Amino acid sequence: MILPKFEFHEPTSVAEACDLLARHRGKARPLAGGTDLLVNMKKKVMSPGHLVWLGRIPELSRLERSNGTLWVGAGVTVSDIAASEAVAKAVSALGQGARALGTPLIRNLATIGGNIGSARPAADLPLSLMVYGAELVLAGTSGERRMPIAEFFKGPGLTTAREDELITAIAVEVPRGYSGAGYLNLGIRKSQDCNIVNVASFLELDEKAERIRTARIALGSVGPTPLRSLKAEKLLVGAKPDERLFEQAAQAATHDCTPILDFRGSAEYRRAMVDVLTRRTLAMAMAEARSRT
Amino acid sequence: MKQLIRLTVNDRALEVAVDPNATLVDLLRYHLGLTGTKKGCDLGDCGACTVLMDGKAVNSCLVLAVQANGRTVQTIEGLESAEGLHPLQQAFIEKGAIQCGFCSSGMILSAKELLDRMPHAQEPDIRRAISGNLCRCTGYQKIIEAIKDVAR
Repeated sequence: MILPKFEFHEPTSVAEACDLLARHRGKARPLAGGTDLLVNMKKKVMSPGHLVWLGRIPELSRLERSNGTLWVGAGVTVSDIAASEAVAKAVSALGQGARALGTPLIRNLATIGGNIGSARPAADLPLSLMVYGAELVLAGTSGERRMPIAEFFKGPGLTTAREDELITAIAVEVPRGYSGAGYLNLGIRKSQDCNIVNVASFLELDEKAERIRTARIALGSVGPTPLRSLKAEKLLVGAKPDERLFEQAAQAATHDCTPILDFRGSAEYRRAMVDVLTRRTLAMAMAEARSRT
Repeated sequence: MKQLIRLTVNDRALEVAVDPNATLVDLLRYHLGLTGTKKGCDLGDCGACTVLMDGKAVNSCLVLAVQANGRTVQTIEGLESAEGLHPLQQAFIEKGAIQCGFCSSGMILSAKELLDRMPHAQEPDIRRAISGNLCRCTGYQKIIEAIKDVAR
């Protein structure tokens, strides 16, 4: 398969990258790991005239924890996130998503910024970031802004980023003790497959570890964007966590999604799996919260 | 317009002019004649084109040749040394892990990345490490046995 022709740019700073995107507005795409974009270009789904490669911008590859916030540069690879002890300790569900993504070969190329920026409804990293309340740092020619990750997605492949903007980093406030999260994905196979359903759950308990103070549930592959299940969250907040409650919340989550039927599965099957994965990720979140109290 | 890049392939420093839309697998096979790297699906699904780039196993069909500028690439041709075949290559022969051979280069390089990092890797790690490399002949069992033999 021959890639369509394009002009290749390799900026060494974020400012230079944004300038290039602005100069070739509408015709340029940022290139991160290339595992999504190059495939779409080979299939002739996209043929941007300019590729702005972000791999030569050193500031995009930092991964550090400072003042209670975990900063993940947009260029950090999925395999580095999967192997990171800082990630495993502070935001374990993000590590679970990273280990579930693609294959080892894909993980060595793919970046967290690309996994978010490509805005695929079945992506493995955004759900955990949503339930942790992560924010994206976007840089453009007119400066920098931050937005909650949930506000970034508009539809399959569509985002609220302007054409000259790049994701430069993801900021996650490290959750306090008394909290935990879990991420699960279901595909036909364990590796190298597009998800049929994926779910992330986050729970924070009160000081006595008796009642749920905060609950966030995000559903993937069952709508045009990753979705929050507000119905399930409402049931959980203020309640005493037990199996029955998680069953009710999981049932409620099935009413907060709009799955489609395709060759991977029927809408009914997807809805049923939202139920199962929500229940299981809530149990994972609870187990982690208990282990940290 | 062609772009001049410098890279190291199997310990050889090279300078080549490449088109921006050429992939690393095409550079290796068609310009450098290193046809040990196979081109299967060309979409990052099959792993036949696996090479090590700065020590990491990647699909060379999803890397542009220009992105390899300044990097170190190792292909299957770079594994043999003066002492003979790499232990993984030898084990693949002895354990019957090669049938048609199309996946072998990629399998061996994925296994090498794992064993460089984890010399005594256990079976679950081995299975995970080759999960991006498809084999349609062997049923994987012989391949896993060969890698386990070297990891012992």
